[in-house]
Amino acid sequence: MKLKIINYIKDFFLDLLKTVGPIIAIVFLLHFTFIKFPPQVLLKFLLASFMILLGLKLFLKGIKISLLPIGEKIGSELPKKKSISLILVMGFILGFSVTVAEPDVRVLSSQIDLVSNGAINKNIFIVFIGIGIGVFLLISFLRLLLNIPIIYFLFAGYLIILVLSFFTPKQFIAVSFDAGGVTTGPITVPIIMSLGLGIVSVLGGKTRLADGFGLIGIASIGPVITVMLLGIISK
Amino acid sequence: MSEIIFITDLLELLLEVFIALVPLIIIFIIYQIFIFKLNKHEVLNIIKGFFMTFSGITLFLYGVKIGFVPTGKYIGEVFGNSSNNWVLILIGFILGFAVTLAEPAIRVLCNEIENASSGYIKEKVILFTLAFGVASSVAISMAKTIYGLPLSLILIPGYAITFVLAIFAGKDFTAIAFDSGGVATGPMVVTFIMSISIGLASSLEFRDPIIHGFGLVSLVALSPIISVLVLGIFYRLKEQRKK
Repeated sequence: MKLKIINYIKDFFLDLLKTVGPIIAIVFLLHFTFIKFPPQVLLKFLLASFMILLGLKLFLKGIKISLLPIGEKIGSELPKKKSISLILVMGFILGFSVTVAEPDVRVLSSQIDLVSNGAINKNIFIVFIGIGIGVFLLISFLRLLLNIPIIYFLFAGYLIILVLSFFTPKQFIAVSFDAGGVTTGPITVPIIMSLGLGIVSVLGGKTRLADGFGLIGIASIGPVITVMLLGIISK
Repeated sequence: MSEIIFITDLLELLLEVFIALVPLIIIFIIYQIFIFKLNKHEVLNIIKGFFMTFSGITLFLYGVKIGFVPTGKYIGEVFGNSSNNWVLILIGFILGFAVTLAEPAIRVLCNEIENASSGYIKEKVILFTLAFGVASSVAISMAKTIYGLPLSLILIPGYAITFVLAIFAGKDFTAIAFDSGGVATGPMVVTFIMSISIGLASSLEFRDPIIHGFGLVSLVALSPIISVLVLGIFYRLKEQRKK
């Protein structure tokens, strides 16, 4: 029993070294060259690195045994219902729920809230990103069912973004593009993939590679559009 | 005094994460009652998983809040206030490279790309290409912030290029390419490197942090797409030469 714990701790430190190690190394390099960090900043940083790695491992494992199987089950159950509207509605609901839980989304939202001094409310921001993913996940399910090539959707999506960018207030542009990037995080990606694979495996007969993926590529266009719309509405 | 703040901060975070998970919990409950009807053992497992997810996310977000964000911002501010801001461009490059190499999800992606190209695109090749791409993105983003270049000027031509490349790269690679953009924007980039960018923009004289501090994530998401598409084109050319 003792040996197991020691091994576990050893593995944890090895993981720490591999994942957060480079960042820690660079921070310390900076400390001895350009920047004199106050000692409590360095201490909190090291402590935080532990927490972040531990937290990451915990929730990745947690997702693996809870949310991923749920995603796959839902994915394989949905086509059986033979109701396209149900599949689309579930796509929206799942996309929204998963996004709201995504840590990376929360980090971006709290930063924009902080930096804008509350002008852009964190929770409204999160909801809009959620709606963006929800709607576009629905759209990408539609694409999957109708077997339309991805490129049309990607092209149309980015065209809309281009047009909207002329109307979006300056403050929202950078952050809306970032919104598209952060949603594809450790929770959203695996669940959407397992949903997609579940659906494709039941529908059968299609190129698993091109269709199982691509859900994420299309879905991440959504938040950019909805946050730009949020910006336009806020004006 | 600081202990009390620690506890209230943590409690607030716990509540926030719980609320964030509520939609998923509700979905599971509804499905369990009407469709899944899993047995007690499986439900217990799922509950255990939810609990792990809940505590994991809370720990993660708390660590980000007390460590990564303040440290990143501090770095950004120091360079923002120094006369040698450009050094941050170099540091950003190194950081982007290191972080990408370390990201586990990237390795999974590289492995998938090697399989998708039937071994032609070696895992190590795509890994270093991606790392270089992300490193360049971070460097460009720091430069953009320092010199006040507009984000759209870089992003829109960038995406135009990806569409041209996508036409030549083929359906399979296009899908993987756009997905890889999402993978590169992992937790380290979004928490630490983005904070450096925000700290930098906050301390530079003529930069508005809202306009110039953000945008880094979107640039980092773009470069892997281009990298994968370019490699995909090489693969396709090779396949055509065979015939």
